[in-house]
Amino acid sequence: MPDATLLALFEDIDPAANAIEKLHEMGVTDDNINVISGVPITHKMLGRPHPWTNVSRLALGGAVAGFCLGAFLNYGTPYLYPVSVGGQYITPIPPGMILLFEMTMLFALLATFLGVFLDSYFPNYRPLEYVPEISDGKIGVFFRTPSSDQEKFIDALSNLGAESVRPVEAQQL
Amino acid sequence: MTATSKYFSGAKKSHETHHDEEHDPRELLMFDPKPRGEMNQMVMESMLTTSWKFWVVLGILAFLVATCLVYAWGYMIAEGLWVAGVMRPSYWGIFLVNTVFWIGISHAGTFISAILRVFKAEFRRPFTRAAELMTTFGLIQAGFSIFMHLGRVWLTYWMFPVPNARQLWPNFHSPLMWDLLAISTYVLGSTMYLFLPLIPDLAMARDRSTGWRKTWFKILALGFRGTEGEWRHLTTAMNIFAFAIIPVMFSVHTIVSWDFAMAMRPGWSSTVFGPYFVLGALHSGMGAVAVVLFIMRYTMKHMDYFIRKEHFDALGKLMLIVTFAYTYFFFNDYIVQWYGGDRWTDDLLHWLEEGPMAWMFYQLLLFNLAIPALTLWNKKIRQTPWLLALIGLLINVGMYWERYLIVPVMLTINRMPFTWKLYSPRIEIFLTIGTFSLFLLFYLAASRLIPLIPVWEVQEGQMTHSLRKVGKTHVPTISEFE
Repeated sequence: MPDATLLALFEDIDPAANAIEKLHEMGVTDDNINVISGVPITHKMLGRPHPWTNVSRLALGGAVAGFCLGAFLNYGTPYLYPVSVGGQYITPIPPGMILLFEMTMLFALLATFLGVFLDSYFPNYRPLEYVPEISDGKIGVFFRTPSSDQEKFIDALSNLGAESVRPVEAQQL
Repeated sequence: MTATSKYFSGAKKSHETHHDEEHDPRELLMFDPKPRGEMNQMVMESMLTTSWKFWVVLGILAFLVATCLVYAWGYMIAEGLWVAGVMRPSYWGIFLVNTVFWIGISHAGTFISAILRVFKAEFRRPFTRAAELMTTFGLIQAGFSIFMHLGRVWLTYWMFPVPNARQLWPNFHSPLMWDLLAISTYVLGSTMYLFLPLIPDLAMARDRSTGWRKTWFKILALGFRGTEGEWRHLTTAMNIFAFAIIPVMFSVHTIVSWDFAMAMRPGWSSTVFGPYFVLGALHSGMGAVAVVLFIMRYTMKHMDYFIRKEHFDALGKLMLIVTFAYTYFFFNDYIVQWYGGDRWTDDLLHWLEEGPMAWMFYQLLLFNLAIPALTLWNKKIRQTPWLLALIGLLINVGMYWERYLIVPVMLTINRMPFTWKLYSPRIEIFLTIGTFSLFLLFYLAASRLIPLIPVWEVQEGQMTHSLRKVGKTHVPTISEFE
């Protein structure tokens, strides 16, 4: 069973991608690899599985909820206390479109924002595995491996161009 | 990362050999990469370097906010709206001029950040945040101006979507409710849109700070590290925001225009008021961005690396296009009213051209239409930061006059000549100074509390740009990373 986390730091994307390929060959599964970078790097570049996100689904859910709330405010509340003025419709459609649109968009945006928090587990102030060099542009490949095999992995990744390969512990950011 | 430098190497030699007079790509930010650590350091230094001049300006603005906004507004709340100049027939005065003006200013942030992001316009990268801040801070001033106009501001909750004691709900078909909903949606949406791309830069600042700043950035960075999942969620959300905020932006100023256009009043009743207002908003917003970029470049350390002549040039081109579109809608609105032959509209138009406020009307034509249309053709003018900022400032003066003519002046010239009385602002002047000061104060504070340059976006852009050899020369090439 994996029992230690190693961090390999890379300057560029190519050696990082090669290192991940090597880790796969050495039997480390994607579940035990985490890539951290200062800019978004796509999974295709690194040969990693497509990361799952619920943000767009939550946005859609928010839009539907906003639309329903808008419809209630627009076409429901006037009938709770009907005030008929000059024989005009109590719930005319054209002016109601504005409320429907704004509520739909507002809740879609709120749900999108909330989605980032939920999917990323924000805010998270617990100790985490991280090194500040990453925000200086380095690419960090974190992987879990049996302690007994550490030397083997350090040698392999150093040969592939890693600036450093070292054990890393969770720390307060 | 050295990716860009690697692709770039050798290109300069080719240029020097074949075309000495040719434009050097290194003048462009995307082709002049620096290591990420160095860029981080530059942005942190720009935040942390504060001279005595900064504190003097901060002190003056804080004094103006305390006196012209807090005290004056408190006085108006205590005394009532009689201390303002609004009275029959101009019940809408400078408060609503300011509301429309600030909402207009706020449009630039979304336009630059969202539309240019959607179309992948690369020059946007270093100044999206400065523009997004303008949206949020501008909308705060617009909100204050509406509350001032309300008078009894403590009754604002009457507009909230909750029933009163008799279970009667607000009338959601009223244009005032449209305003509340549209502006609230825009404030919340644009603030969230400002915050999301800021998270990675806050994490960068967290890694390089100590003391209270470390705590500040740590709280705001939310524990962001830059994992694949975090980037995926963040970029997905930013894409959704970029697309969704655009129709919200258009809806806000259209709805503001409907406050006027829905009334059967000379000068207001116009079917093109919606797009005319949106274009006016973009016009003033782009001008304001030019002013802000100029101030940033010349007052903050290292900003001349991030904000270059190319950015002023691109902004100038956008301003020129918006000028044409604005001119088209201005003329469209004007000629239909002029040709319509309505007696009261004729009176209004003659009054604008020959009346006591004619100077404002002609300055509007000069600052909003003539000067930008005649000057922004010239590349040298566009690439001269102080000139572009001056044109942007003049556009904003012209746009303020335009809103002044639309609100109190067009209320003055109505179908009841016995009520005609020119509006004279009173306490509104102080409150206007107060809102402008608060806007600048927010900006000044933001320049020291958050990174104004989205460093990760600049680095991402530099990674995607390279020079490709085509025949005897090297041409700029952009890769698609997404």
